[in-house]
Amino acid sequence: MATADPFDSALDLLRRLNPKHTAEHLNNIMTLAPDLTEDLLSSVDQPLAVRRCKQTGRDYLLCDYNRDGDSYRSPWSNQFDPPLDEAGAGVGGVGPGGANEGAGEGAVPGERVRKMEIKANEAFDVYRELYYEGGVSSVYLWNLDDGFAGVVLLKKASPPNDGSSSGVWDSIHVFEASERGRTSNYRLTSTVILTLATRGAALGEVDLSGNMTRQVEQDLPVENDDSHIANIGRLVEDMELKMRNLLQEVYFGKAKDVVGDLRSVGSLSEGQRDRETHRELIGSMRR
Amino acid sequence: MASAKAIVSSFVEGAPPGELADVLAGMSPTHIKALTISSPHLVDELGPAFKKYNEEQFATVKLPGASQPVIVSSHNALGGDRYYDLESSVSFAFDHATQKASAVESYVAEGETVELAKSILKALSAYVKEHYPNAAYGAYPTENGSKVAIIIVANKYSPNNFWNGRWRSLYIFDPSSSSLEGSIKVDVHYYEDGNVRLLTNKAAAASVPSGTGQAVVREISAGEKKYQEELNRSFTSLSEGAFKALRRQLPVTRQKIEWDKVASYRLGQDIGGGPGRR
Repeated sequence: MATADPFDSALDLLRRLNPKHTAEHLNNIMTLAPDLTEDLLSSVDQPLAVRRCKQTGRDYLLCDYNRDGDSYRSPWSNQFDPPLDEAGAGVGGVGPGGANEGAGEGAVPGERVRKMEIKANEAFDVYRELYYEGGVSSVYLWNLDDGFAGVVLLKKASPPNDGSSSGVWDSIHVFEASERGRTSNYRLTSTVILTLATRGAALGEVDLSGNMTRQVEQDLPVENDDSHIANIGRLVEDMELKMRNLLQEVYFGKAKDVVGDLRSVGSLSEGQRDRETHRELIGSMRR
Repeated sequence: MASAKAIVSSFVEGAPPGELADVLAGMSPTHIKALTISSPHLVDELGPAFKKYNEEQFATVKLPGASQPVIVSSHNALGGDRYYDLESSVSFAFDHATQKASAVESYVAEGETVELAKSILKALSAYVKEHYPNAAYGAYPTENGSKVAIIIVANKYSPNNFWNGRWRSLYIFDPSSSSLEGSIKVDVHYYEDGNVRLLTNKAAAASVPSGTGQAVVREISAGEKKYQEELNRSFTSLSEGAFKALRRQLPVTRQKIEWDKVASYRLGQDIGGGPGRR
């Protein structure tokens, strides 16, 4: 038997265990296999944490792409919190377990890309308000040799209404833009993490949690840097519409169908008799 | 920090319906060796985890020559990994690691609630046939024969379509107080390009004054019907409520964003229909 790759095994395991506790499973796997830590942290999506920007007072989202060591960069002020100098002095080299590895690399985009990042954050702030009517958005960009890459993050939590149901939505859209003259090739990988829960006296507890990932690749015309933002905006908007429909289908349609396959609300023998009667009726009409 | 054994045991316990072998594939001995150099025989030490999983999930197994599957639970355990089935009057050895049964012997249950359990089984068999296309069921004298444990477990595995599901019902009927208590748990896993899990838990409590097998099952039947209808309604209310409140399908204008003009949205028009976050 060929030896399976431990990284693939870890991902397959995470695809099977309760998605509500991915962070816990991830920590457990990293305890078993510390070598996989960096790869797993950069490829397994987890619910996004929110932090308030000290300079602007606006909320932003934390992920691996705006992290430098223990500091996170605000897209609104472009400042790290805690500031990098102090953090660097405090940590003093590679921390325990090499967690400090890669710190500072590509953490701040170049001037042109930062300009696009500012505009992208403004554009997705509008998008957030129109679609989410609340929540938090953040866009982080970084330079690539033949273009740039980025991540668009959106998070919204709906508090328990009348004490019964609640939900959290996290969108993570990672893209690469390869510039080829008048067109650009975009590769987008989108994950939505959606957690829903409800409870009641007659219902007991219901938890419906999970994540879904989809990818798309497209070549689009580019006139200037503003076209990049419009292109990425359309890609993300189309993807989110598609994924929202998919989530609706799986969370509410598929789950209900499977429950119905396990147990039939109506009587199975009556259903069988009805089908036979129906068949006979059709048969007699044909004669 | 949790030990490797505790971690891998937690993976076993968290295996979705019908996916224990898949969870273990991710933890095959090769990986265990690679992941935990200090304990190369970890899988051999997982016996207690497998047993807990099988008894809690009501693992089912078909005995040689039998047409109906029988259940493995703590309520029909005889000790030493042997279990019995009241309906077919047999006991069997169960290998928790491979989920295979062997050494089937005839078995006569004893205790004051054996006859009640048999009467419940008769009614339960008819009820399960009417509402579960694929289920195993059992009734067993429990708690030193003073009460009866009633179990229904329905599985549907569709790995080719990336989903699996399980329905578990457990009730304890106490003839001395006429009380019926239990729980219904549903577990559905969908994993095509993702990982979505439905987990439910509903406590059940009722009184069955007549205390006959028929009446006990009639109460179970009514409660389960009511629960399933309630669960079906909850899918609709979550979809219309919490889900809709998170993200709209389209903006209020019912039009997609004009990205070329997005910079002017903030200045030009009222975008959100009211004050936003700030």
